Amino acid sequence: MTEFLFNWLVNVPAFAVPFALAALGLILSERAGVLNLGAEGFMLAGALAGIGVTINGGPPLAALAGAMLAGMAMGLVFAFLTASLRINHVIAGLALVFFADALTRYIASYAGWTNQAIKGLEPIFLGQDLVVWATPLICLGCVLLLNRTRFGLALRAVGENPAAADAAGIDVTTMRILAILLGTALIGLAGGYLTVAVSKIWTGSVVGGRGWIAIALVIFARWHPWRAVLGAILFGCIEALIPRIAATGADVPRYFLQMPPYLATLAVMIWSATRSSGGGAQPAALGLHHIREDRD
Amino acid sequence: MSSGNATEQITPLEGAGIRSETAPAPSRHKLRLVPLLEVRQNVPETQRLACYAASLAVAAAISFALLALSGVAPSDVMREIATVAFSSPRALGSVLAQTAPLVMAGLATAIAFRSNFWNIGLEGQMILGAIFASVVAIYDVGPEPARLVLMAVAAMAGGMLWVSVPAMLKQRLGVSEVITTLLLNYVAFNLLLHLLYGPWKDPVSSFPHTEQYEAFERLPLLGWLNLTWTLPLAALLAGLLWWLLSYSRIGYLLDMTSSNREMARAVGVPVAGLTVAAILASGAVGGLTGFSIAAGVEFRMTQDFFAGYLFSGVLIAFLGRNHPAGVVIVAFFMAILLLVGQSLQIFFQVPSALVQLVQAIFIICVAASEFFLTYRMHWRAAT
Repeated sequence: MTEFLFNWLVNVPAFAVPFALAALGLILSERAGVLNLGAEGFMLAGALAGIGVTINGGPPLAALAGAMLAGMAMGLVFAFLTASLRINHVIAGLALVFFADALTRYIASYAGWTNQAIKGLEPIFLGQDLVVWATPLICLGCVLLLNRTRFGLALRAVGENPAAADAAGIDVTTMRILAILLGTALIGLAGGYLTVAVSKIWTGSVVGGRGWIAIALVIFARWHPWRAVLGAILFGCIEALIPRIAATGADVPRYFLQMPPYLATLAVMIWSATRSSGGGAQPAALGLHHIREDRD
Repeated sequence: MSSGNATEQITPLEGAGIRSETAPAPSRHKLRLVPLLEVRQNVPETQRLACYAASLAVAAAISFALLALSGVAPSDVMREIATVAFSSPRALGSVLAQTAPLVMAGLATAIAFRSNFWNIGLEGQMILGAIFASVVAIYDVGPEPARLVLMAVAAMAGGMLWVSVPAMLKQRLGVSEVITTLLLNYVAFNLLLHLLYGPWKDPVSSFPHTEQYEAFERLPLLGWLNLTWTLPLAALLAGLLWWLLSYSRIGYLLDMTSSNREMARAVGVPVAGLTVAAILASGAVGGLTGFSIAAGVEFRMTQDFFAGYLFSGVLIAFLGRNHPAGVVIVAFFMAILLLVGQSLQIFFQVPSALVQLVQAIFIICVAASEFFLTYRMHWRAAT
């Protein structure tokens, strides 16, 4: 029993980190009022970049940096559609997921990166790798950035009341583009971590809906970084449990074992919805465009 | 944090900005142009069409360029389109056979989108539809002559069941349907794999698909161009929905509801009932799409019969402007795209993701073109 518990808990961080980083990235862009449904796409871009850099001889850290850049490259497309062209955020997010899904599979199959195992990121301390140890710091960084800097104040103002922020001299469009780029760098890193440190192999389904789960996690965390990390740990526990249960040889049908993360996400969304009566935590201008010349 | 607070604290930012507080040289002002956006009030239909056509042309150009980069010259693509779609009645027959399920997928998505419900769960609803239809087929429910009808009804029930959970969560609790419908796809897929690798594995070949449906459990042949009854079924659905959405009282009330919910409720439209009905109809058509592929194309339930229909459905509904006639037209071209994609995959070894990549380029270009219809841009010197 203790062995089971140990094997389970030691694996939790690796499963929790992608959720945590993706949720933090989402929070950064959503606090600026950008409804970001593209998480799955940014994670896919990061995941493929991580594999690509590694296969071409790059060290794991370069692979993770590549993942961040890939996430940002996709983020630039998303920022152009939502912040500059002011396309409906839902359509832009979905289009981006479709695009990233197709593009990553296209590139992977052209370059022959599919199903090539890599060595990946090694543990450095207590059986955990560098990114696991860096994640709490990244979260702290997000909290400080949002709550203790002028930049963070401007970012939140754009997400709560873009008209007022504009009147105060903040360039709403630029602010949103920066928030998207910062956020997608973290989401790309989450994807890169999945391939460089967890699966150590690329398949088209490597992200497997984790981006969507991260979106639900942000609602669950009421757009607050620390709570998002707690939620990520919860989902890390659930995901880490799956291989452990399978290893005990318990008579649970194999494919039913894959369902808990998705069902838990539904449960978490229901719980969040019943809890928030006023819905006050959501950035007031989430998903809304700001056009200076338009009357509100 | 209240928004009022935020603005108060932000005001000092102006002083901290990069521009100096002393009067800047006027020459700098002349050089810097800023865009000003004006919201267009009325856009004439011709302008709409021109913008739409231009965005399609841009998307096509990008797609051709992408193919050229992959080693397929535009002339090869054109020849492939001509061969695949128009070289013989048989070729046209295969395009029409592929069009039918795409029309259904597009209709399922369009009904939901039209009532402002982002149903991204088409694949889950198709899977549940096919599973329910397979229950009827595998356990021999009902007399043989009625079997096919029972399968279709069961498929609609399956699709409705699967969409009813997100519908209820959205209506009762305001839970975002984008995420719930999408996550349920994964649940449905794992349920499908469980059945196909477990209790429903083909007893004859041990392959992970169900046993073949009996002859009376398959959609019969039309006796024309090798087509099955899937095509008339899709046409019937499109016609029915066209009438319902454009000419019936229900369609009128639904349009009222989706364009201004509060106003509709105020004048006594049963808003909640109409929305739920539209969402359930979307799920039912989704289930029927799954059934039409299982019973009309594969003659059994396979593990990937639904693959790609979610993206195709969203694209068809979006490009077809959520209108049944638009859906039929776009589905026809989408069928050609799918078949050309398959053929290019064989003859030019392009990756299978190509079709979806082209689809995504079209969605992005058409979505981006909305900007030019919604806003008029002026360039003005910064002051």
